[in-house]
Amino acid sequence: MDILISSLFAGLLIGMVLALVALGLNIIFGVMEIVNFAHGEFLMVGMYTGLFTAQATGMEPLLTLPVAAVVGFLLGIICYYGFIKFLIRGPMVAQLLGTFGLMLFLRNIALLIFGSEDRALHHGILVDKSFDMGMGVIVPATKLTAAGLSVVAFGAVWLLMNRTKIGKALTATALNAQGARYMGIPTERMNALAWGIGGGSVTIAGALIVNFWSVNPFMGLLFTMIAFAIVALGGFGSVPGAFFAGLVVGLITEIPGIWDFFTYTFNFDWMNNVPMTSLKYMWVYLAYFVIVVVRPRGLFGWKQ
Amino acid sequence: MKTAVRFGMVVLGVLAVVGLMVPSAALAAKEIKIGVIYPLTGGAAAAGRELRAGAELAAKIANNVMTDISMDMAKNSGIKNMGGAKIKLIFKDHQGNPTIGADLAKKLILDDKVDGILGCYHSSVTKTVSAVCEQYGVPMINGTSTSPALTKRGLKWFWRTTPHDKWFTKDLFELLKGLTEGKVRGVKAVPKKEIINLASACEKTEWGSHVSDIIKSLAKEYGFKLKKSLLYASKSPDLSSEVRSLKAVRPDAMLFASYTSDAILMVKTLKAQKAAPKIIWGQDAGFEKPEFRSTLRDSIVGILTRTVFLPKVAQIKKVAGQVNTLYKKNTGNDLGGASARAFTGLQTWVHVLEKAGSTKPADIQKAANALKIPGKELVVPWAGIQFAASGDEIGQNVLGSGLIGQYQKDKDGNLVLEIIYPFDVATADMIFPFSF
Repeated sequence: MDILISSLFAGLLIGMVLALVALGLNIIFGVMEIVNFAHGEFLMVGMYTGLFTAQATGMEPLLTLPVAAVVGFLLGIICYYGFIKFLIRGPMVAQLLGTFGLMLFLRNIALLIFGSEDRALHHGILVDKSFDMGMGVIVPATKLTAAGLSVVAFGAVWLLMNRTKIGKALTATALNAQGARYMGIPTERMNALAWGIGGGSVTIAGALIVNFWSVNPFMGLLFTMIAFAIVALGGFGSVPGAFFAGLVVGLITEIPGIWDFFTYTFNFDWMNNVPMTSLKYMWVYLAYFVIVVVRPRGLFGWKQ
Repeated sequence: MKTAVRFGMVVLGVLAVVGLMVPSAALAAKEIKIGVIYPLTGGAAAAGRELRAGAELAAKIANNVMTDISMDMAKNSGIKNMGGAKIKLIFKDHQGNPTIGADLAKKLILDDKVDGILGCYHSSVTKTVSAVCEQYGVPMINGTSTSPALTKRGLKWFWRTTPHDKWFTKDLFELLKGLTEGKVRGVKAVPKKEIINLASACEKTEWGSHVSDIIKSLAKEYGFKLKKSLLYASKSPDLSSEVRSLKAVRPDAMLFASYTSDAILMVKTLKAQKAAPKIIWGQDAGFEKPEFRSTLRDSIVGILTRTVFLPKVAQIKKVAGQVNTLYKKNTGNDLGGASARAFTGLQTWVHVLEKAGSTKPADIQKAANALKIPGKELVVPWAGIQFAASGDEIGQNVLGSGLIGQYQKDKDGNLVLEIIYPFDVATADMIFPFSF
């Protein structure tokens, strides 16, 4: 039973962080209908920002979140005005290839500056600490805090999108850009803001993740794929959908632990021989595939 | 008449110049090009740097007379039997990718016209590169890939100096057996039931998958219970579910085959999850890299790793100490398992070329098959190098052996790897049981 509870708990915690990773992708797609292939690289930028800010200043890694948010926001704005703004005039294929190019550009810049080595944080009040919650559940303090702060960040973005004029303007732009323009909403600025908020939220997630995972220039693609799965599952453009789907995907990554529970409960030898850990991410992509086929707008997506 | 004399003098002059030039050109030492394919970028870049430094140092010693190094290749400048021909290394980066490795091998063979290949660290890349070498009939020496399958393919142009994983893993089981028999220095005999439950996690490329299979078969052979055996995706960002799965069976010993980034993440996750095995053993690779040590620091005290070289070897073997001094001067680090074996790989190339006296593939093949390098020539603690020319492991060095080291703190508080196995050359008492 220990392994079932600890797997479910771990899945929910990591799901909260993954939801924040996907949120930025969701906002950008929701407002502009552009698929940002460089999303994972934005996360990598956030991780490097958190890492180097903490190392250079000696400050507590969790206090680097505002720095990462500012860097991500500016990166999003710069990308929009310097690149995306021109790209959206072209066909869909150009947009896809353009953000793919942005992904390669950011990855190789990181490779040039930081090298290919994995880098990790080694200091901070939470690093290397765990909480024994009983029932066999041991939670690393960094993951627990990251999950908590992800929920806070999510809540902040939800409030921004639903309780402020800016958020309503963003939603209006997402629903009908031309109509919004007629109503006096500066849609171009809203687009830039979507990239800024999207960039900021994912770099915050990066600065949280670097507290327990190492970073290298190649790690973006996996997170881009996971973020796609979450956004597709939750529904393109839906903030609560992204949160719920993040939790589901977090639980899906823990299928091997759940499988272990049944293996030991029923004591089936054949179950022990199924390479579930090797297939960990396959279930995520399978869920992505199923949802795209069965319900293309996702669980909480807007009807077109 | 004057014109005829002048013409004759000019002709003589030209002939004299040509006469002077031709012999010198003919005698000029030929350059021997060895293509070296290593992972110089990507997840194993740190290992790639070590491998490159090891091979470069061996080439430097082979190309110059170095009287302070007690090995044959240091006595001559270049390959003596080939008129002092110098070794030129052409490095290529396979990034840990077997397809890139095969393409690079073709380029080296067809464009750079190399005389032979050295590489490639990742067994998966060595597999594709050796297939290309076999296709073109170009000799390849491998110093660092340990998948047993590599020398079971009956290749005619492939030789491997390093012992492979079956030997190394057998060493571990001998250590476990030794623990139960009271043979381990500083540890009283441990009842077998206290260390009988094992769990393994190996990365799922060519190398890790084979190690996993070997662990399964040896556990059975030695009478241990392998309660969990899992493969995980290499370079995974998270290994929490894998660690929980291992922990669930409450193993006495955890066995791993991981490259550097995975090894670091695995140990961090084990610590965070408060895993408490009595033994943690890594199948070299990531567990022996300087980054593993510098990243995890004191939390790895007590972790075991198999290796073929430890700085302690330099204390008990003179030539290893001499080469280690040069290596440390160049890189700031001691020789490790990767660099020492890369050094030995190129050293083997030098001996093969000396014996062949030519760069013709057929001569090299004949020389490699008849090669015997005595152990006193090597930095690694092996009985020597001699390749099997028949049987089911053609091209495998049959005189190699492994070591098992344990991270411990020396009297100055520095983290060092002490030799624990073989028992007769142990340099310290084993820390048992392990705890974070």
